[in-house]
Parts: sequence; C-alpha cells; structure tokens
Amino acid sequence: MKTKIKQSIAVLTTFAIVCTALLCMPAIGQTNTKLTDAEIASVAVTANQIDIGYAQIAQKKSKNADVLKFAETMAKDHQAVIDQAVALATKLGVTPKDNATTKSFLDGAVKTKAMLNSKNGNAFNKAYIDNEVAYHKAAINEVENVLIPNATNSELKSLLQSALPLFKAHLAHAEMVQKQISK
Amino acid sequence: MANTYSILKSSIYLLCFIFLLSSCTSTPEKTINKVYSVEINQMQFQPASLIVQKGDTIIWTNHDMVAHDVTEEKEKRWTSGPLAPGESWSLVVNESADYYCSIHVIMKGKLIVQ
Repeated sequence: MKTKIKQSIAVLTTFAIVCTALLCMPAIGQTNTKLTDAEIASVAVTANQIDIGYAQIAQKKSKNADVLKFAETMAKDHQAVIDQAVALATKLGVTPKDNATTKSFLDGAVKTKAMLNSKNGNAFNKAYIDNEVAYHKAAINEVENVLIPNATNSELKSLLQSALPLFKAHLAHAEMVQKQISK
Repeated sequence: MANTYSILKSSIYLLCFIFLLSSCTSTPEKTINKVYSVEINQMQFQPASLIVQKGDTIIWTNHDMVAHDVTEEKEKRWTSGPLAPGESWSLVVNESADYYCSIHVIMKGKLIVQ
C-alpha cells in the first residue's frame, strides 16, 4: 500500500514538473511567433542563462556524481553558447532586445528555481533531471520551430543551427542520468 | 671434361651461395604506418568507427562550439584532456579500444586494430 502511494506521489511529482517546465515556455510550437534578430539573440542568451542557473543550484544541492557531472557540463556548454551569441551580436551591432518570450522564460525560471530549492536529496536530483529533460525538449522545439525560421541574419541562423545538436546531446545525456537515478 | 663439369658445379654452388646471402642481408619489408583523421562535429565522432593497423596514428579535431575530450572508455587508459574548439589531439594506436567523450557521455567511437 505504502509503495503504491509512493509511486503515485512520484508520478504526480514528475507530471507537475513537466507541466511547470512546459508552461514556462509558452512559445513552444508557436510557429507564427515573429521575432526580430535582436529579440532572438535575447531569447537565446536568456534560455542559456536560465539553464546555467539550474546547474548552479544542482552544484550546491546535489551529492550525486552523475547529476554533478551533468550540471558541470550544462554550466560550461551553455556559457560557451552565450559567449558566441554575445560575440556575434557585438560583431553585427545587434543589441539583444527583451520581449514577451524572454519575459515568460524568466517568469517560469523563478517558479522552477523555487521548486528546486524546496527539495533535497534524491527528491532534488529527480526534480532537477526531470526539469532538464523537459526544459531541453522545449528548448529544442523553440530553436527548431521559432528561432531558426525567424532568424534573418545568416550568421545568427548558422549559430542556432550549430547549437541544435548540442541541445539534443544534452537531452540524451539528461535522459541517461534520469534512468540511472530512477534505478 | 671432368674439369669443365667441376667448374660448372662450383659456379652453381657459388650462385646459390650469393642468392642465399643476398636473401639474408636484404632489409626487412617496412610497415608503412598511416595517419587517420576523426572529425568531432555536431556532437559526433566522424567516422565513429575506424579499422586501423597497429602503429597507425589517429588525429581528432574538435570542430564544435564546445569543449570535448577523447577518452578510452573501459579503463580510462588514455585521454586527450579537454579539447577546446579548433584543437586537435593525436594517438598512436596499439590495441583496439572503445572510446567516448567524458564531458558528453553519449558521444562514442571505436578503434579496431587488425
């Protein structure tokens, strides 16, 4: 009986995390969202900064080696993407411009960080990795269906296209850790 | 007649001796080692699998926007350490190995020594 209750709580928790992550990204799949290059640069930088923020929480709270290794990779890789996006924006003379998508990302991140900070131990590890899986799925969708189609500058489009395999590799890595910690 | 036969016989022996001597002193056939390239591109080792000879050299070059490494997977016998974008690393292969990127653990490759 207790096991069934625990399983039900785990399923509901996962469902809640996935819903929160998806609600944090209302632009998903909205192919009619029109963004300028300056707005795309803002979305790209913000989305990467948010995942660095999640990684920093994991580095403080987790003791799981697989989770810590994953968080370290997220912090380094997303910083590398930000550095290249900022360098390109500087080169092109584009100032990243905040917009509704950026704001919804940031609003969602506040809620997700509060949720992560409220958990400890294995519950934290599970919440962090479940969120990473959902966040990267949403980010891939956003880059593929909104950012790349809207980008007008060829170098910006190329940068986004280069980042896509990276985000897909992060998703596969997160799913691998998710399986490991659920054993 | 007997003398002619004797000279002919000696000549044949001499020729055989020279042939054997030349066979023994000729330099052994050299194995020419090859150099192969593996490109790290779009979060993949390309090609992911290489068939090589012992002593061949493999050069990995990172073309991605993030750092990678090249690490023997089973016992971590060798590793490149972090390779920044644009950096290369080479290894002389002595035995078959499965390898991976320890930063992005889903990236895997294989060296098969024949």
